[in-house]
Amino acid sequence: MTVCTNCVMDTSDGGISFDNKGYCDHCRTFYAKIAPHWTSGQEATVKLNQMAEKIRGRSQNKDFDCIIGMSGGIDSSYLVYAAKEIMGLRPLVFHVDAGWNSQIAVNNIERIVDGLNLDLFTEVIDWEEMKDLQRAFFRSGVSNIDTPQDHAFFATMYKFAAKHKIPYILTGANLSTECIRNPIEWMYYQSDSRQIKDIHRQFGERALKSFPVTSILWHKVWLPYFRGIKVLRPLDAMPYIKENAKQLLVDRFDWQPYPQKHFESRFTKFYESFWLPERFGYDVRKVQYSSLILTGQMSRSSALEALKRPTFDKENIEQEIEFVANKLDMTTDELLSYVKLPKKTYKDYKNQEKIYKFGARVMKMLGLEIGGKR
Amino acid sequence: MISIVDYGLGNIRAFENIYRRLGIPAMPVKSAEQLSEASKIILPGVGAFDWAMQRLHESGMIDPLNDLVQRQKVPVLGVCVGMQIMAKSSEEGRLPGLGWIDATVKKFDESLLNQYAQVPHMGWNEVDVSNTCPLFSGIENPLYYFLHSYFFEPTLKTDVIGYSNYNIKFASAMACDNVYATQFHPEKSHQWGIQLLKNFAELC
Amino acid sequence: MGYSATQKFRGTVLMLRPRIIPCLLIQNNGLVKTIKFGEPKYVGDPINAVRIFNEKFVDELIVLDIDATRKSYEPNYKLIANLANECRMPLSYGGGITTPDQIDHIISLGVEKVAVSAAAVSNLSLISNAASHVGSQSIVAIIDVKKIGLLRRYEVVTHNGSQRTGLDPVEFAIRLQDMGAGEIVINSVDLDGTMLGYDLDLISKIRKHIQIPMTVLGGACRLDDISSLWKSQGLIGAAAGSLFVFKGKYRAVLINYPNFTEKALVLKQAGWTL
Repeated sequence: MTVCTNCVMDTSDGGISFDNKGYCDHCRTFYAKIAPHWTSGQEATVKLNQMAEKIRGRSQNKDFDCIIGMSGGIDSSYLVYAAKEIMGLRPLVFHVDAGWNSQIAVNNIERIVDGLNLDLFTEVIDWEEMKDLQRAFFRSGVSNIDTPQDHAFFATMYKFAAKHKIPYILTGANLSTECIRNPIEWMYYQSDSRQIKDIHRQFGERALKSFPVTSILWHKVWLPYFRGIKVLRPLDAMPYIKENAKQLLVDRFDWQPYPQKHFESRFTKFYESFWLPERFGYDVRKVQYSSLILTGQMSRSSALEALKRPTFDKENIEQEIEFVANKLDMTTDELLSYVKLPKKTYKDYKNQEKIYKFGARVMKMLGLEIGGKR
Repeated sequence: MISIVDYGLGNIRAFENIYRRLGIPAMPVKSAEQLSEASKIILPGVGAFDWAMQRLHESGMIDPLNDLVQRQKVPVLGVCVGMQIMAKSSEEGRLPGLGWIDATVKKFDESLLNQYAQVPHMGWNEVDVSNTCPLFSGIENPLYYFLHSYFFEPTLKTDVIGYSNYNIKFASAMACDNVYATQFHPEKSHQWGIQLLKNFAELC
Repeated sequence: MGYSATQKFRGTVLMLRPRIIPCLLIQNNGLVKTIKFGEPKYVGDPINAVRIFNEKFVDELIVLDIDATRKSYEPNYKLIANLANECRMPLSYGGGITTPDQIDHIISLGVEKVAVSAAAVSNLSLISNAASHVGSQSIVAIIDVKKIGLLRRYEVVTHNGSQRTGLDPVEFAIRLQDMGAGEIVINSVDLDGTMLGYDLDLISKIRKHIQIPMTVLGGACRLDDISSLWKSQGLIGAAAGSLFVFKGKYRAVLINYPNFTEKALVLKQAGWTL
């Protein structure tokens, strides 16, 4: 296994390449293309204020001027705080319940919403349909079995914004902790509706009647350019240091930290700590730590040290597997049998990758987006 | 191996799940043969006294239980009606109990009933524990869940390791030799119950 | 510690805490929440809700299948077993129960208490028969009450509020108590899902005549409602659906329950000293 000399990404990422200094292409992309365009300091504050004014200015709703998708995780929790207290906005907190909420997540949402005196809206995905789609993804053999949750989350939010004509959706996506993205082989685009439909057609057992489906063209082209509904990333225009953000939320709202990023969903915890490493050898901590290394929040040596620890807690893992299996109406043996299926990738099913690649090239040419998946 | 006596009454799965999460081997047993592996025994129970004795009798496990508990001195924990059937008799029924503890079971005095003390005793109540008993080791100011209309009255008060107050002061936990018993439901009492069950498993 | 009123309790101090009980409604295997027993809104997966309540150290849980009786279904034993398996606190289940054998079976699945409603109206002896096996403490009688007619008199209704019985709730509660029920739950149809507060009037009318544990359901909006209930009625179970499942003016689904500190405050405001 060859490891980057600057971050901790390695050859478990099949598409990685290294220069003569041993720097991987993720690092090179960051230094060459992302960092120079990432505003900070005074310039960022100006940008943030402009963003806030724009949002307030376009607001037609008496009760709120934007929506923020909140999972209960650190990024969305901090964003809600920042939107209200730093940007002076009136956000509607939007939560999508896909059936896997951990108690900590639910508690954290409650604490933030109550602590900031905000309104909450929840959309509950039909559990029987979500379960069917998740079971279909297991059978398909692909790596990205968390797509149903992610897809439902975004589709629901976009549809809500479109229905109620809310011009701004704020997301907690940020360069500070996510400047390196998961390689596409590890986690293919969760918004690719053609892939979801094909996997469901082949492996699903019941019709998807109410499950929310979006499409890349609808929410990346139609919504922003024809309906004027834009997705903004305010955390990129402010100093966002994960540990500081966490401490603030703990002190101010009695927010409870998670053992690892994305662990607010019981399924995502299983997916990232067990499924991806055990079946494919993909350790998403490498991506997360590498982002923190590049943004100066973690040293490479402590990342390497942390990576020596197993991805899952050996004492609890049996119970976690049993929990996931029971919830999905499988036996533990059936669930573990999927770990051993022949490995498939997103390319084995219908997909819209060409559209994504084309779109990404256009965006970059127009300077409309920095960073992005590779 | 902790054997959880499954005679058709009581929340067997709740005990099983707690021990599984603690990583302590425990298994439900439905017959005399299965009981032979028992290094410790749990005798759960939800129900009426006679019904419990009858079901236990039908399971064919009374004789092996008597042997394991009284002769071989295998530690046993009786819960709720599982505790009550360890007595000699109960006002609730006509059948004799197992007699492992010299005690009877009485009904809460209905003449004391008012809107603040209803029967059955239902809900979370305090247990005043004797700290010297290892069953309550590490447990401070616990609350446990009670659900019963009859209470345990032992002849010897020296074996009482926990008292609760409900209109009267009554024995809510017992320990005599290898025989332990709780009137409350540790399998449904969150962290206090889990700690007690862990302590029972770790008794020497 | 505990509620002490030496005159009433003849010198002994009462240490039993009153219970706060979330009530979950099930329809087609999913959780729903109703308003006045109608307009069911989908609320999600029951197992996940139970999981979250486990970790909030909830006192007790009531789960009711709202279609089983009305549509004459057998209780869904598989779902009940899964719920019982998941639930780390005492669980009461109700819906579709008509025979003592069903009650025996459900108790054997790991449920602490079984709730009967319509069956008790048509066959009171169900309660005494079942109690002889599982014990009174495991039989809960749920009385659904609605205000009927021009005079707005309280009447017992069944089948998810769709059938009248002509029974007066006070008299019926007394009969249920006499037949050996261990607990009576008063469920207000008119207040269900409205979050307008408990019907303290109805509760005190019935409470005067009952010496077994009672629990009330229907109308709770905030924890203050529970304090008010306990202040006026003393030791009584406070059950609620909407309060623990929704948040805010948009009725956003978010499972919640008071933590230890909040519970202590509710008790204190009701006059309990700990």
